Amino acid sequence: MTSTLRNDFLSIAAFAALIVLAVPLFFGFDGYELNTFARYLCLGMVAMALALSWGTAGILNLGQAAPFGLGAYIMAMHLKLMNSTSMPGGMPDFMGWMNIETLPWFWQPFHSLGFTLLAGLLFPAAMAFAIGAFIFKGRVSGVFVAIITLAVLVAIQLLFVEEQGYTGGQNGLTGLALLTIFGVTIDNYSLNFYYLVAASLLIVTVLATMLSRSKAGLVLRAVREDPNRARFLGYDVSNYEILVFSVSAAIAGFAGMLYTLVLQFASPTYMSVSFSLSIVIWCAVGGRESLIGAAIGAIVVNMLEGRLSDVFVEAWLMVLGVLFIAIVLFLPRGLYGLAVSVLDAMRSQDKARHGTTAKTGEPTRPGESASTSPTASLSAGE
Amino acid sequence: MSIENFGKRDDVAVMEAFVLKRRTFLKNASVLGAVTTTGLFAPSILRTVKPAMAQGADLPVGLLFSLTGSVAVVEKTLHDASMLAIEQINDEGGVAGRKLNPIIEDPASDPATYADRARRLVIRDRCISVFGSYTSASRQAVLPVVEQRDNLYWYPTLYEGRECSRNVMYGGAVPNQQQQEFVPWLAEKHGKRFYLIGNNYVYPREENNVCKILLDRLGGEAVHEEYVPLGHSDFSSVINRIRAEKPDVVFCTLVGDSDVAFQRQFHAAGFDPAETPVASLTRSEIEVQAMGGDAAAGHYSSAPYFMSYQSPENEAFVKAYQDKYGSDAVTHFVSEAAYFQVFQFKKAVEKLGDQELTAPAIRDASVGVSVVAPQGEVVIEENLHTSLWPKIAQWNGDGQAEILVQSDDRVSPVPYWAYEGSTCTAEGLKRA
Amino acid sequence: MDSAIFFNQLFAGLSTASILLMIAAGLAIIYGSMGVINLAHGEFVMLGAYATWALQTFFGLGMLISLPLVFVAIGAVGWLIEKGIVSRLYNRPLDTILATWGVGIVLQQAITLGIGSQSRFVQRPEIFDGNLFFGDLVISNYRLFILGVSLGMLLVTYLLLTRTEFGTKLRAVIQNREISECYGIRAERVYGLTFAYGAALAGIAGALVTPLISTTPTMGTTLVVDAFLVVIVGGVGSLVGTALASGLIGEASAMLSMIFNDTTGRILLLVAIILLIRFRPTGLIPQTVRG
Repeated sequence: MTSTLRNDFLSIAAFAALIVLAVPLFFGFDGYELNTFARYLCLGMVAMALALSWGTAGILNLGQAAPFGLGAYIMAMHLKLMNSTSMPGGMPDFMGWMNIETLPWFWQPFHSLGFTLLAGLLFPAAMAFAIGAFIFKGRVSGVFVAIITLAVLVAIQLLFVEEQGYTGGQNGLTGLALLTIFGVTIDNYSLNFYYLVAASLLIVTVLATMLSRSKAGLVLRAVREDPNRARFLGYDVSNYEILVFSVSAAIAGFAGMLYTLVLQFASPTYMSVSFSLSIVIWCAVGGRESLIGAAIGAIVVNMLEGRLSDVFVEAWLMVLGVLFIAIVLFLPRGLYGLAVSVLDAMRSQDKARHGTTAKTGEPTRPGESASTSPTASLSAGE
Repeated sequence: MSIENFGKRDDVAVMEAFVLKRRTFLKNASVLGAVTTTGLFAPSILRTVKPAMAQGADLPVGLLFSLTGSVAVVEKTLHDASMLAIEQINDEGGVAGRKLNPIIEDPASDPATYADRARRLVIRDRCISVFGSYTSASRQAVLPVVEQRDNLYWYPTLYEGRECSRNVMYGGAVPNQQQQEFVPWLAEKHGKRFYLIGNNYVYPREENNVCKILLDRLGGEAVHEEYVPLGHSDFSSVINRIRAEKPDVVFCTLVGDSDVAFQRQFHAAGFDPAETPVASLTRSEIEVQAMGGDAAAGHYSSAPYFMSYQSPENEAFVKAYQDKYGSDAVTHFVSEAAYFQVFQFKKAVEKLGDQELTAPAIRDASVGVSVVAPQGEVVIEENLHTSLWPKIAQWNGDGQAEILVQSDDRVSPVPYWAYEGSTCTAEGLKRA
Repeated sequence: MDSAIFFNQLFAGLSTASILLMIAAGLAIIYGSMGVINLAHGEFVMLGAYATWALQTFFGLGMLISLPLVFVAIGAVGWLIEKGIVSRLYNRPLDTILATWGVGIVLQQAITLGIGSQSRFVQRPEIFDGNLFFGDLVISNYRLFILGVSLGMLLVTYLLLTRTEFGTKLRAVIQNREISECYGIRAERVYGLTFAYGAALAGIAGALVTPLISTTPTMGTTLVVDAFLVVIVGGVGSLVGTALASGLIGEASAMLSMIFNDTTGRILLLVAIILLIRFRPTGLIPQTVRG
């Protein structure tokens, strides 16, 4: 247990050093350059949210983009209202175009920043709570969870596109004000803003790690391995599943709020199927078992996209596709698995008799046999 | 070289700092053991910040059209048209003796990626102008970036109007330019009962708002107004409704794949174009090529440009385009604008002479610039929109349009046509 | 008049259902028998459309003559992908989602780079031009043809699974791979052929659907989600269930879009599907073969 704690501490510290020092240093502490990286950090946060439910509890949520998008819209609603004060009735321009007479009641409270920030966390969480209760109380699991979450995502996105008068439709919410908090206006191209995002990500990392190391986290791991056995032990499995599903949604909502600040618009594409599947891919690339791994996966893939599209202007997507296939085939536990294997190999060279592989060899996916240990995984592709 | 100096962005200093920065980073990274990420930084050295503003150096301009994803169907052709214009300009000595250096990004049909790549073009590559994009959503995603950096975005697409950014050069038609002659013409020729069908987003809705106002003035009516999701491809329900309503005109603002699917199914359902014509604001030669000439034959479109338009400039444009991209390549009213906007940019830069080349200066110089485009002579107005030559055409079975009506004069853009009291002026939006 | 709309919509729903069935059938076979969630399925549909286009454009072959060639060609692509990638992932079912997603990107991009991103025109067979009129009810001949083909496809597949040696082997492998192998069944061959067959069906679906829509590299992505819903609603591994689910979803969306509009209809349909999966996760026709 202590070694787990130490490992957690070390990896969080290394991650902190990376995003707080190394990256800003590389970009010369230039706020403009760092704005792009702040975007990656937001995506890293939503990947981490998915890793919390997928990696810890084995809940493959293909609709992770839904709470992310909700958070993004909630932040955008506030910023849109702040930018609409000179409009007739303080009403956003797009509502006027849709012949809406007065500001709808559910837009009213978003004048308050405090309410907005709370809502950005709690609304996605509450929604996930309802959906989670609906799914998990019925003991739905595996691919059915994946399909239901996907269907929910599609329905929510359709609703947002359809209700243009309230959501801005396909274009989303654009023409937003900058965020003003305690009288200070936050410029999204400033160094401070980058640190705001980085600090947020670190706080989320610490909290999520604490959750996954708590008793609830242990139970969830048990659920991942064998839900029925966990039930026989007397745990109400669904309650734990609902908990982690909701927390994961709250984190995604938070990431979405920050994402709106970075890009200065909210778009229904934040809730698209392809975006949602991308989150899964980032997690897989980074390693779904590790929260930080998932975040790094998101950052790495997005940087890679940026770089590849520079080098191979038209073929970059092809290169990316081939890379994904290669990673799934040859690195089933992602970059995290690779790192663990490398560390293990180094350690076992040091102390040959120390059986470290057994400890980290926990099966990683529900339904997967224990034979797929990290050492086996390296040779899985032959 | 220290970090503080880096902030100044002096050209040579930037280059040096970049190399140095990389070394520092590698050192730090190895200390931190962040092994996995370092490889990713490497390619950035391949495209370092370019010394943009030096006299006589190439002029960096950004090209932001999706080459992958769903919008690539259209945007690849816009990209091609812009590249053709850049090539022609460079072959003739460039702009005021300086070559245009096109910097290409692929935003992959995703608004967030548009914003990100626009930022790269404007900040990292220091482009003095960016040419790009087809959809309204992508334009709005780019807007915060170009406004914040006071850059210039050349947007070639027809769009819904009611926008008045001082950082966008609007090269396409706004609703009044496409409709004010088209709707009365249709009403007179076919009747005043319109069935409005479009994709569910801001452009079709706004075009239909304008259409309803025009119909109202003519004493006509919109018998049904209907929107389907973007990319929707099953139109059996819509067609059944059209069959039941028996409108005089199907007024269509479906875009891309949806338009192709609709028209093919409409045609297959056996409607006679002489009786129930489809009148489209968005259909161009590329959609018609995809749906097949037969399906489109007899139906109408309104646009400032058609490939079949007879003018020496258009002949030259079509020939050059097909020489470069193959004899089955088609030009259309958005790619024509993507083409002429580069020449507008050139004229504006040349007008500036020895003055400092900045995006705002180019914008100010561009007002009043006139270019003889393939569609006719077009002029940039004070509100940064373009005066165009609307045409009404009927499609032939061979995939080309026969132009039936050509407006007598250039039609000025009125971006807030449907909103009394709002005017887009040189000072931005004015409300009465 | 109202009843005319109703019957027209009824046929529209049937037509939608037949298209759904064609796309979902291949997916159902692959998922039902191999447990592989094939996100590249939409791209097989797309390849089928492009193969038809290529045969038409470069060799002047009509669609009907092209169908067998498309079947073989896309089947071959499927077989190669199974051998090269999917076969390595049988003990990791969730990873097939990721790998086939990558395959989908690669196929899409290969077409974009090789043929171009613009949409292509595929001519439908001229003998199916025109419509049948029964009073106010109008039935497009081509849609009727698609309906016929999809039912034929369903029948052939059903016979293949239940009446042939291959079908027996496949069902044996589904039940217990190890024991079947003891009896001399080469499971990896059976899997390869099954995947190829599923892909080939998707290819045929692509060829037939594309004259109604447009042929672009991204045409498959929107189709695959719906096809998945059909498979899950129908019950994993049940071909009859898939057919039933296609019919139900096709008709429901036609009726809902008549009462509301296409978007609202779709949202309501999704909600109904979610409820159905929640309260009947085994689908309309539960799997009986597999434990």
